[in-house]
Order: sequence, then C-alpha cells, then structure tokens
Amino acid sequence: MRVLIQLRPSPDIVAAVAAPDLTATTADVTGELPGVALDHDYTPVPLPRARPAVPGGDPLSLNQPLDFSMAPEEASVLVRGEISDDDRAARMALLPGRGGSVVGVYADPVIETSLTCGGTPPVGTWRDVERLLAVPRLTAEGYDGTGVALAICDTGINAAHVTRQMGRSFTIDADRSWSPSGVSDTPGRYRVDHGSMCAFDALIAAPKASFIDIPVLLSRRQGDTVMDGLLSDAIAAFSHLRTVLDAQPAASRALVVSNSWGSFSPLWDMAPGQPGNYSDNPAHPFNIIVGSLERAGADILFAAGNCGVECKDRRCAFPARPIVGANSHPQVLSIGGVDTKGLRVGYSSQGPGRLTDRKPDICSYTHFAGSKAFGPGTPDSGTSAACPVAAGLVAAVRTRWPASAISPAQLRTLLYRTATDRSTVGFDYDYGYGVADPPALLSALERHADATAKV
Amino acid sequence: MVLITVRLPPEATLEQAVHRLGLSEDEVDTGYGLVPLDPDQGLYALRVTESAGHRVAPDAGGPFSDPPIEPFGPPH
Repeated sequence: MRVLIQLRPSPDIVAAVAAPDLTATTADVTGELPGVALDHDYTPVPLPRARPAVPGGDPLSLNQPLDFSMAPEEASVLVRGEISDDDRAARMALLPGRGGSVVGVYADPVIETSLTCGGTPPVGTWRDVERLLAVPRLTAEGYDGTGVALAICDTGINAAHVTRQMGRSFTIDADRSWSPSGVSDTPGRYRVDHGSMCAFDALIAAPKASFIDIPVLLSRRQGDTVMDGLLSDAIAAFSHLRTVLDAQPAASRALVVSNSWGSFSPLWDMAPGQPGNYSDNPAHPFNIIVGSLERAGADILFAAGNCGVECKDRRCAFPARPIVGANSHPQVLSIGGVDTKGLRVGYSSQGPGRLTDRKPDICSYTHFAGSKAFGPGTPDSGTSAACPVAAGLVAAVRTRWPASAISPAQLRTLLYRTATDRSTVGFDYDYGYGVADPPALLSALERHADATAKV
Repeated sequence: MVLITVRLPPEATLEQAVHRLGLSEDEVDTGYGLVPLDPDQGLYALRVTESAGHRVAPDAGGPFSDPPIEPFGPPH
C-alpha cells in the first residue's frame, strides 16, 4: 500500500526542507524506517501547522479561521513510501513509535481526473469543436463537403431548427433521402430530436455537404421502446444508399454514412453461437450489407456506444464487450467520444469489439453545447454526437479525395496513423488509435498527393 | 418476423423469391420486399414469419435476428 508519512524532525531539517535554495532528501529527513520502502525520488514536502486564529479555538476543527505556521519548530515534513500489504495494519500502527519523529501515516490513493458523464453540463461549445477540427483551415483548403453526400441514419432531421441554431442554411437532398415503410416521407421536416443533433454536429466540419435524411429509427413496425427501429429497416436503408452510390459518377463517388445507434441488449438478439445471431455474427444480413456498401465506396461510421465502464448508460445490458454487431464491423469507423479537453467521456464504450477486436477505431468530440435538440443547456452528448462530428470530417476530406482516389479502407488507415495518441502508446481499448487530428490528416493527404503526382 | 437471405439472379423480384422458396404470401412481409444485400454476389434479404424462416432454412440463409435498434445518446 502506498502511504504518505508525516514526520516532525529537528527544526534545522525542517528549515532545510522549507528553504527554496536548499535541497533536503528523504534520507536527510528520515534515515531508514523499518517496514517502509521509502520513495527516494519524492522530494520531501514541508507542511505548515494549523492553529485556531482566535485564542481558545478548537485545535482539531477546520471550520473556523485558521493561521498557518511554517516556523521550523512547528512545521512538519511529508515523505512517500510503500508498506507491504502483509500485516499492513500492524506495520502502520507501529510506525508512529519508530524513531520518535513519525506523527502520522496516511493513504496515498491513486487520483484520477473527474470524467464527463451523462447528466453533467456541457464541456465547451460547438465553436470549440470547430476550432479543434481546424475548420477554418479545412475551409480555406477547399475541404467543406461540396459535392459529398452525407447520410444521417437516425430519427430524421429538422432542417429549420438546425439552420436556426447554427446560423446558416444547409442542403437537404430530398431526392436521395429515404424513409422506412410507414414513416412520412418529408425529408428535413421531422420533429426536433436526436437526428437533428446528428445533422448539426456533422455540419460543423462539412457545411456544404448534401444531407441525405434517413429516419431509420422512426420505424414502429415492432419496436419496444419510445424511439427505435428494427435492424431490417437499416438493411433497407443501406440498400437504398447503394443505389445512391451507384448513381454517382465512378470518378467522383463520395458517400459518408453516419450511424449513431446500435443495440443495447443481447435479450433482443439470438444468442451468440446461433446462426441467426447479429451481435457476434459477420454473416448476419446487416453485417453483409455494411461490407458490401463499404466495398462499393462508402465511408461508414458507427458510434461505439455509451457503455463505458465508468458511467455507462443504464440501458446497457451486455455484461462485457458492448461494441457489438456493425458498430464493431471491420469495414466501418467505430467512433468513441472525448470532451473538448480531449479526455474520454466516461460513458464511451471500450473495446474489444465483438466482430473486430480493435475497437473503437478513433475518438471525436462530444458533450458540447451545440444543437439544443434536447433543450437549452443540454449538451450534444453520447457517442451519438462524436460519430457525426467525425462523419463531417470525413465528408470534408471527400470534397477533394473521392473514393476513386482514396478508398474507404485507405482513408481509415490515414485516420488511424494521424490520430493524436492518448493513454498508452499506440492502440488502446479506451481511445482506439487516438483523437482524430485534422491538421495531421491534411498533412498526410498532402504527402499522399505529392507521392501520387510523382508516379 | 425474422430475416432470411437468398441468392437470385440480378434484378430479381419478390415474386421470384417467394416462388423459389415455396413461401405463401401471408408468410412474407411484402411491404419490406426483396432487399439487395450484395448485388455483386446476387444476395438478397426478405422478412418472413419465424416458422417460415425455419422451414425454408435449408434453401436460404438464416433465419437471422431482427433486433430493435436505438440511438446512442444522450446517455441515461
């Protein structure tokens, strides 16, 4: 167990510890303490003595005015070490009697930053995300989504709300939009909800993209929850998107598909190992059509999910490995979430994935004040927001680099290579390859352009 | 309802799939139709009743689950 040990050595040693121009070591302060492995790399820290500021005050209470004395005869010194876990209690109890100068032994617990969780206030705004994505540079270099089809597969978009919140208009491509059977066919005019948030977040980096509105989650065919669809609707949606892609000229194909949804519970699926299972089965029809659409040239992004161990969504019912089905497909980008400080949000699902071990792939920004789709003061949150933010970046890149020039697989590799590494070196299950880094990505694209020109 | 897959020639119709698999009309979600999964491989999907899915399994892929899907945010 790691411990902090408070000592009261002789006043001249305390003075040496406190003096900024002198360097006192742990050995100078303590000598050896039997039973303690002292950390000699830790510089001893002087601690002032607290006294009640008013005569007659309670010497043990902090709830009163206090004076602090660094006088050598009153101050103490803190060092750090480790006590064996064997007979820990007895060793700690004996320490104050050793050498006469030990006055206290305290735990030295691991401390961590406080993670952003569901229900916490926004961390930054969409303008911060715009800055972090280097949107001014993207725009200046012609990466704005012009000519790129960006499909939002969600609850439908309310274009008027998104335009009002963003302060600029955008294009809904009604002709190429699609809705499941039974859902009204009014692209861009759905109720303000999750899909409007996704469209807003994708627009940050791709303001000139043509948005294809696919309200796949509005299907009520057999759904059990307030807002859900069926996977068969997503299959039909992807089949429609294949026709969209095939209708584009081969040389300029650019279709980005953003999916901020998935499955929370294995109870709705056949069990792993059964041939009809979705979560773990690459042969499921949806996993087949995802691979087929990607091979035809579409960039497909899925949210990693909100089942991170620190503060998972209460709906999460997978006991382990919650990135399931197409969200862990090898031919998609699985997007985890970080806040605008670059820290993983506590609800962002961790790998390994079920179809592919190395998931999530990369992270992007979430939990910022943006669309107000869920009301003023409520952030755009979940990996639901991180996914379209990343999709907007991919759409921006496609402005100048269609699938004929860089395949979806090549673009994924570029995103991996240029991501800002977080946590451990290289890939990890919290951040994937890191946080998408547009300036590094643009530099890599420039090098790719130079190499292509020389061939 | 469950999903099944079937291999058919290009531009195949739902009627062809129903005939090929020996399905009756009330066993098939005709509103869903015949959905191309991989046009290059001639692979299609359709929604059928669970009993029909198990019955035609020797001649088709599946039956596969058709679970509900939900949005991933905001976290609850």
